[in-house]
Amino acid sequence: MSSHRIRRIGKEIADIRADTHSQISIEPFGEQDDVTHLRGSFPGPPGTPYEGGSYAVDVKIPTDYPFTPPVMKFETKVWHPNISSQTGAICLDTLSSAWSPVLTVKSALLSLQQLLSTPEPKDPQDAEVAKMMMRQPAEFARVARQWAVRYAGAPPKPDEDSQDVSAGQEPTEEDNLARYNGYNKDLVDRFGGMGFEVEQVVDAFERAGVNRNGGDDYDLGPGLMGDITARLLGE
Amino acid sequence: MKVTLKEWNAIATWHWDIPEDEVCGICRVQFDGTCPTCKFPGDDCSLLLGKCGHSFHMHCLLTWIQQESSKGLCPMCRQKFEWKQTEESEEA
Repeated sequence: MSSHRIRRIGKEIADIRADTHSQISIEPFGEQDDVTHLRGSFPGPPGTPYEGGSYAVDVKIPTDYPFTPPVMKFETKVWHPNISSQTGAICLDTLSSAWSPVLTVKSALLSLQQLLSTPEPKDPQDAEVAKMMMRQPAEFARVARQWAVRYAGAPPKPDEDSQDVSAGQEPTEEDNLARYNGYNKDLVDRFGGMGFEVEQVVDAFERAGVNRNGGDDYDLGPGLMGDITARLLGE
Repeated sequence: MKVTLKEWNAIATWHWDIPEDEVCGICRVQFDGTCPTCKFPGDDCSLLLGKCGHSFHMHCLLTWIQQESSKGLCPMCRQKFEWKQTEESEEA
């Protein structure tokens, strides 16, 4: 049964290498002769924030492949609602319930490339990204682009540069922390996880007289939590 | 010149009555070859012709259909996979 898998994968790899048109590439993840753990990569689709980036995907071939799908996750960090920004885990039916044994590693990689063009925030893998995409589309596009430049090697476009400089938009790590105004980031982000902006949360903290605790994280207790939540909800 | 045939050996080839270059979509081996679990092509490793028009090595398709996740669907077109029963009589 396992030689079955090896034989098919061998053909698939040869097929991917013979096809220079799709710009998909595949290589062994570790040892050269181990075809059960691969690294695939493809260019970010044009007309998306991912354009110009190169995306690497960790591909593991299960024992009963092709009857079960290859196990895939993004190695390159991606800001996309159907891909975990933390782990690279992917939410795509083709790679789970809708898998069919006539599909291939190449077709799966093409599906992932397609997924970058067609984000589906209503069926999210990363709730935070999905929420940003639905509520602040411009901010979503900006962060997605920033991640593409930072992690996927996408070239920053000249107009993006000048825009950033003139608007002073490119937030550095320091700027980001400044937004927290001395409060611990995790403490604030716990409210951010509910869908509030950092500035809103910090403002509510200040008005509720929350202790900065020297920038360390701590438990606010149910009373303060309730008070801040009520302020954030405008009650 | 007169030739007397003392002995002759007939040689025949065969292939399935489908386009020669086609491969089984599941194992990617040509239909005239075997599925990955068989050694001898032909009747021991026959094909299933789907009513939907898609064909596979019988063993490949059965492995798929026996899986719950297949939901009994053709791997190509995701219609319910039903095979033509007439294959035997056509061959005979």
